[in-house]
Amino acid sequence: MPKNKNDILQGTLVLLVLKTLSSQKRMHGYAMTNHIQRVSSELLRVEEGSLYPALHRLENEGLVRAEWATTENGREARFYSITSKGRSEFAREEENWERLTEGVRRVLRYA
Amino acid sequence: MRWFRRLFNVFRRENVSAEIDRELSFHIAERVDEYVAAGMTPDGARRRALLEFGGFGAHKEHTREMVLNVSIEAFLQDLRFAVRMLLKNPGFAAAVVATLALGIGPSTAIFSVVDFLLVRPLPVQAPSKLVVPYVQQHGNSLQPAFSVPDYRDLQRDNSDVFSGLLASRELIDGLGFSGKAEKVMDLYVTGNFFSVLGLKPALGRFFASTEGERALADPVMVLSYAYWKSRFGGDPNIVGKAVAIDGRAITVIGIAPEGFYGVSPWANIQGYIPLGMAPISGADPDDFLENRRYRAISLLGRLRPGVSVQQAEAALDVEAKRLSRDHAAEDADLRLPLFPEPATRFDDPRNGTLTVVSTLFLGLSAVVLLLSCFNTGNLLAVRATFRQSELALRAALGAARGRLRQQLLVEWSVLSIGGGIAGTALGLFLSSLAGAMKLETDVPIRLDFHFDWRVLLFAVISTLTAGVIGGIAPALHGSRRNLNSSLNEGGRATTAKHRRVRSAMLMAQVGGAMTLLIAAGLFAHSLRRAEHTDLGFDPDHVLNFTMDPLLTGYNRSQGTEFFKTLLERLREEPGVISASTAYAAPMSYVVVGDTLSIKGFETPKGQPRPRAMYNTVSPDYFATLHIRLTHGRGFTEADDDRGDPVAIVSEAFAERYWPKLDPIGRTFTMLSNPGHDPRVVGVAADVRYRGIAGPIAPYFYVPFAQRPGTDSWATVQIRTAPSADSMVPEIERALASIDPDQPVWDLKTMHQGLYTMWGLLIFRLAAGLGAFLGAMALMLTLVGLYGVVSYDTSRRTREIGIRIALGARPSEIVRMVVRYALVILAVGLAVGFAGSLATSRFIGQFLILSPLDPLVYVLVSTSLTLVVLLACLVPAGKAARLDPISALRIRRER
Repeated sequence: MPKNKNDILQGTLVLLVLKTLSSQKRMHGYAMTNHIQRVSSELLRVEEGSLYPALHRLENEGLVRAEWATTENGREARFYSITSKGRSEFAREEENWERLTEGVRRVLRYA
Repeated sequence: MRWFRRLFNVFRRENVSAEIDRELSFHIAERVDEYVAAGMTPDGARRRALLEFGGFGAHKEHTREMVLNVSIEAFLQDLRFAVRMLLKNPGFAAAVVATLALGIGPSTAIFSVVDFLLVRPLPVQAPSKLVVPYVQQHGNSLQPAFSVPDYRDLQRDNSDVFSGLLASRELIDGLGFSGKAEKVMDLYVTGNFFSVLGLKPALGRFFASTEGERALADPVMVLSYAYWKSRFGGDPNIVGKAVAIDGRAITVIGIAPEGFYGVSPWANIQGYIPLGMAPISGADPDDFLENRRYRAISLLGRLRPGVSVQQAEAALDVEAKRLSRDHAAEDADLRLPLFPEPATRFDDPRNGTLTVVSTLFLGLSAVVLLLSCFNTGNLLAVRATFRQSELALRAALGAARGRLRQQLLVEWSVLSIGGGIAGTALGLFLSSLAGAMKLETDVPIRLDFHFDWRVLLFAVISTLTAGVIGGIAPALHGSRRNLNSSLNEGGRATTAKHRRVRSAMLMAQVGGAMTLLIAAGLFAHSLRRAEHTDLGFDPDHVLNFTMDPLLTGYNRSQGTEFFKTLLERLREEPGVISASTAYAAPMSYVVVGDTLSIKGFETPKGQPRPRAMYNTVSPDYFATLHIRLTHGRGFTEADDDRGDPVAIVSEAFAERYWPKLDPIGRTFTMLSNPGHDPRVVGVAADVRYRGIAGPIAPYFYVPFAQRPGTDSWATVQIRTAPSADSMVPEIERALASIDPDQPVWDLKTMHQGLYTMWGLLIFRLAAGLGAFLGAMALMLTLVGLYGVVSYDTSRRTREIGIRIALGARPSEIVRMVVRYALVILAVGLAVGFAGSLATSRFIGQFLILSPLDPLVYVLVSTSLTLVVLLACLVPAGKAARLDPISALRIRRER
């Protein structure tokens, strides 16, 4: 399968989802894809095929909570919100990410 | 926690599925709205949204896997599915299970025998600590036979290495209780016997430690649990009552625990009596408790915790040196080697013949197991290719690849477990057949091949091995395929690699079958040879039976008289040509030998002192068995206990000890019977008493009336005019009229008597077992080859159709198929030849012909060739008769 340039790097999806949820009260999957796409100025595109499994895994791990609710245009949707456990996980993930990108940047500059 | 939650979700999986459906549908609906808002038509928007979303089913599955504990759910699902698939294909399932069972069954059965012979510990406390000391004198063979004084010294001086040392002596007695005496196998034991073994009585009491120390002082006995049940119906009141052992009253004081059969696995001991009582059975002289020369008891020691066999052996070395010094007359040049109990069960603990035999047959059965694995491997691979399109379809519908593989694995596991269970059942059946084997003796020999946990563990390991070997290749085969090509070609794709794997398995199969068949052929040919070997006597028209008048209380001279009268009476019977007695009939389990000093023969330095087996016979023995006397005279009625001691030696004896000298008139001394130096009066032709092959050992005869010891055990041999078995009823009638109270056993023809472990039985067993394993191998090969070749030709229907359409003649088609089979055959035969060469060194020692016997090799390769051709001719003929039109029209033949 050819990799799309703006496919999300494996492992960063969780970070993005947690970040998105920590800045919003609650959100459904569709809104999340739009949000990430918009905020990243269309640089990042979330694969639906990865998003939903990831969301359900996070739910199982207790990092997010899910509930059914009605959207503004009257559809039933599954809304996700972050838990306190999710927040601390997000902090850890973010730190990891910083370290990773910093490391990568240094290597790139050096070599 | 997370795992638990997923597990919990398994129980609400219907909800989960619906929920995921709703969630994903919402996503698509929103996306459609977005595109419509951007100006697309609803239909176009919907198509685009779905396209972008990708495989809905796959995403759903994926998400489900996150929510549910899929491994369990999937496993249950796969299990149901596997059982359903197999039930839909009962022929296939039965073929696989049967093939596996044919592999697992025989090897498990053979292992159950090996377990009994070499592994299973005695049913006593901490059996791994038990060791058996041996006696080796003058560098002669090892004997597990001690004198009582030597035993007492050993016990006194070595309590630092042994926490207990017991002695025992096996004897056959007559046990009388209201009526005719019944022959029983008794163990005469030291007072510490049961305490050293750590056993508690099922009833009554065991012996006190002092019981058995003095001759004939303790007329008590303990019955085995099984004998108590069978003879006395488990009557608890028997304790305290008296029974007659060899005509003397002995009180039963206790019952041994259930399942305890004595201290050697093959002897089923029925009663235990204090050692000091042994002279009542007549086998031992009254002074045997004090006579250092008289070696009749075997020892069993329990090592102290932390003491190794080596340390104990070092202690015995010191003891042996002291005994040699202090008792030079009896114990000169003594060694006392020590072995763990299991090594001492059946033969000389040093050479381990039994271990070699066991390894050999386990190895051969492992080959059968391997063949059955290859066969199932092929069956599965064939099925996997048939199912290719089904699997491809399911992969396209969203099944994860790992999931498909897991499913095949579950299906295979169901099959192998089925095969394992069927194999174990087959093994149980086969081992019960082996347990019912006739050993041609009425002596209660135990053949207890029951399935204990070791045997079951072996069956499980065999099943796992079969599962891994048989399952790996086809499992990979089934899942790692290009989906596209599988769908497009209608499941006809067969890569060259898979064909190569199959061919290699077939070649290995033919090779393995050849190795097995060669072994079987060699054993069978050996048996034929053995049956036609010149034994030095004529076994035709000879009837044997054994009696021991001491069992009913006769003394030595009464015993001599008894047989004299018996023989006279028998000679009067019509059809009896001659009758005689012998202590040991050829090939019987009874054997007696002695160390000798021979006048005129100096033992070369460093060589063992002369030792020979001998026989005590009545005057007519040589005439009855047609044993030729080459020099001098035979025995006469005058050679009795009043006459001078005389002996007849075998040709090998004369040759070895008095080469180029006239043996007549020379004398020798028997170590256990000094002061009665027999003078040689004749030389007899060599007779094979033990073993069919190899050089015949020196042997000698003394008259029954001059026998050493007090025993009157004898085998009566009768030469009959009509066939020997037709005389059985008449002889039985005659015996009943002479003395109806005398137990008689082993009444059978000399021919039957040859089939003992020392005679032909070992060859018959090897030939039978070899033939069985060989037949299995042949059948597996035939089925495997037939299956693969017909599968192969059916896969190539289109190709063959095209060939025929293009003008290929049927004979060419047949040749094409046969060529493939011949390549397999040629390589297989080469593999088999190499395998046979590798095993020939092993097998060679059990044969009486060369392990490279050309006749066997020719016969086996010819019959294998025929089988291979047979296996491929049917499918080849079918291919040749193919109608090209319909062959080309069929897209998929299923």
